[in-house]
Amino acid sequence: MVRYTVRRLLVAFPTLLAVYTLVFLFVRVAPGDPAVAALGDYASAEAVQALRERMGLTAPLWIQYGRTLAGYLRDLGRSLITDVPVGQQVATALPHTLELTFAGIVIGAILGIPTGILTAVRRNRLPDYMGRTLALVGLSIPAFYLGILLILGFAVRLRWFPVMGAGPFSDVSANLRHLALPALTLGIIMTSFVTRMTRSCLLNVLREDYVRTGRAKGLRERTVVYLHALRNALIPVVSVLGIQAAVLIGDSVMTEIVFSRPGLGRLMVQAMMQRDYIALQGLIVIYGALVVLVNLLTDLSYGLIDPRVRYE
Amino acid sequence: MRWLMGFVCVGVLLAFVGQAQILRIAFDAADLKTLDPHYAAATMDRAVVDMLFNGLVRYRPGDITVFEPDLAESWEVSTDGLTWTFHLRRGVQVHPFPGAPEGYELTSEDVVFSLHKAADKDRSAYAGEYVGMRFEAVDPYTVRIILDKALSPSLFLPKVADYAGGFIVPKGPYEALGPRFATNPVGTGPFQFAEYVPTQKVRLVRNDRYFRGAPLLAGVEVWYVPDVTARLSALVTGEVHMIEGVREQAWVEAVKRMSGVVVDVFGPGETEVLHLNMSKDPVSDLRVRQAIAYALSREEVITAIGPDVAEPLCAAVPPYLAGGLACAEVAEKGLLYETNLELARNLLAAAGYPNGFEISAYITERASYRKPFENVQAQLARVGIRLNITVVDHSSFHTLIRQDVNPLVHYEAWRPSADAFLTRFYHSASIVVTGAKPDTNFSHVTAVDGLIEAARYELDPARQAELWKEAQVKLLEELASYPLYVLKFVFARSEKVDYGYELKSSLALYPQVTELTRLK
Repeated sequence: MVRYTVRRLLVAFPTLLAVYTLVFLFVRVAPGDPAVAALGDYASAEAVQALRERMGLTAPLWIQYGRTLAGYLRDLGRSLITDVPVGQQVATALPHTLELTFAGIVIGAILGIPTGILTAVRRNRLPDYMGRTLALVGLSIPAFYLGILLILGFAVRLRWFPVMGAGPFSDVSANLRHLALPALTLGIIMTSFVTRMTRSCLLNVLREDYVRTGRAKGLRERTVVYLHALRNALIPVVSVLGIQAAVLIGDSVMTEIVFSRPGLGRLMVQAMMQRDYIALQGLIVIYGALVVLVNLLTDLSYGLIDPRVRYE
Repeated sequence: MRWLMGFVCVGVLLAFVGQAQILRIAFDAADLKTLDPHYAAATMDRAVVDMLFNGLVRYRPGDITVFEPDLAESWEVSTDGLTWTFHLRRGVQVHPFPGAPEGYELTSEDVVFSLHKAADKDRSAYAGEYVGMRFEAVDPYTVRIILDKALSPSLFLPKVADYAGGFIVPKGPYEALGPRFATNPVGTGPFQFAEYVPTQKVRLVRNDRYFRGAPLLAGVEVWYVPDVTARLSALVTGEVHMIEGVREQAWVEAVKRMSGVVVDVFGPGETEVLHLNMSKDPVSDLRVRQAIAYALSREEVITAIGPDVAEPLCAAVPPYLAGGLACAEVAEKGLLYETNLELARNLLAAAGYPNGFEISAYITERASYRKPFENVQAQLARVGIRLNITVVDHSSFHTLIRQDVNPLVHYEAWRPSADAFLTRFYHSASIVVTGAKPDTNFSHVTAVDGLIEAARYELDPARQAELWKEAQVKLLEELASYPLYVLKFVFARSEKVDYGYELKSSLALYPQVTELTRLK
């Protein structure tokens, strides 16, 4: 397992370098100018040109590539717009994004797995219809719209939670109050995924021969479902959770914008709008690294659920 | 015990009062760009800079038509108009910074340093404004600015006012902080910088040693909230006291109906102008440009945008600036081009386009540009001009229009003087791509260079205004552009916010927070 992990991590480096190189090229092909974005339309052409030179954008492409890569290895580079090291920005934003994503997944798992089990064991009955309908609604509703609905209901009308910002990590109560609605936004969407996946996997497993054998030898239904069927059904669910975790990190962008939370998603959108090439390159590679890491953790978790899985 | 309880109660009360006097403002932005006043251009950055820095003179808070003393308590100009002398206020304290925990007294050395910085293209975006000027520190409290060519007060004073390059950046902190100054600004204003939380907020605290007296507010927090629903919700719940609004009629009307909320619509606003590219066929033909003008109805566009937030603009320079031309004056000259579809069709036929023609143009996704441009598209279709629009992101739009790809360019702008409007948009040196200093002359007009230059160095204000008006009349005859309207700024605030002045217009692009602003 250790050799497998090390090998996967080593393979990640060329992958991330390829991501970095592609992003470096693509952002420079796109129209738009970071100097114009930074100075606004009032600045004269001379001022824009002076800033462009200061940003190093007039150098040949290969020199820019070398410089930005060296900067990236040092501190993930420095933002073209604010001159703040991207590493410092990531260090501030990443914990908030991870906190939000993790909370979304936990809510998704806590609500989604039991709902999935219930809809599977009560197939084609009222709980099943209700669970499936709610899951469909959850899947169909965009995160930004759901977020606004939650704000209007729980923040504006009931005044239970704040609308914007993220509480400091040093103040657990404030942090959780700020986290509640954004986490619920992602959590509801995640719940829908997990419910549908758990239901369909469990239904497949419940048709297996060993389940029929268990029932035939007189095991209680609860033992058959929870002890024998669910464990096998959970492997694809965990896989989906892993994939969705990576997707959620990206999906958190809209949630972060609606709730004005700091986070990687907001940083990335901002970098894109301002053509902040350096910040954008750095942030996309961080995203790439997170996806690689989440995939690795997902693969490793299979072994915990199913002892037959071997890491060769 | 009773004493102890008394102390606790007073402490709690003071803490509560202090907390209540923190003004929170939410801007339509994801993050700051820079807090170096000589680069700050976006609304949210100009707002923070405005609270931290001063100019030698300032626009009166709430009314940009009046200049009053700021860091300079008085000034005079030599009879030849070439030398301006400013006498600095004594006892102005620079905010504390690493290296000077108590700050220090601002002197002419700081002012001269700041003016040199503003004039240096490597340290300022506004360097072009200070060409042909020399700066001297006569004594610690006297600064002299010597001009190569005399300028009228209406052109000179904005360069040393509390706007853009006119903000005074003290030498000590700028040199001590280096590149970090952009996110750790240090000035002399009523509030001093305390903290920047990336993508979330900037926190300012009261400058107790402010030369006009300690501010009534304990501090200000500037929040970056790009989603308008979140901003409005935060205002309703009391999490913030003031928000940047949406410059649309429907939004203004909806928010005005909310209890406890006040909507401020104020000037100077930004001009919304359709530039007609005279270098591209068929727009190069004057008859086609006239047909476009007669096909359009500025009133229809304003109705779509909203009469509360949009005021008609009939010439290149808005009427509230010296040298601006009001719609009545344009009507007197017979240059209003009032809508006449029949005439428009005839002009098109005379130009060889009896069935109209097809053109394509890029527009940004920003609603304040896109909506009027789509309205123009629909209006032009009535005379057979088929305008194909491609929507791109804002940054791409600015790049593309500067590459001269559009036959029609919708542009939104604020400039501080008639000279800036006319030079940047209508002087031949400013023609995009091919001009001597390529800028934003999208129409390629060359007919008013002489008038612009003559007005720039005219010292008699009345004659200067006449020259500017003459240039605008010529532009309307040439139809280099079709001015549409002035789009005003919109903010909403809790009724608890008392600005401390009457708000009519603000060059800081937000309702200024001064030492007199308070929460009732």
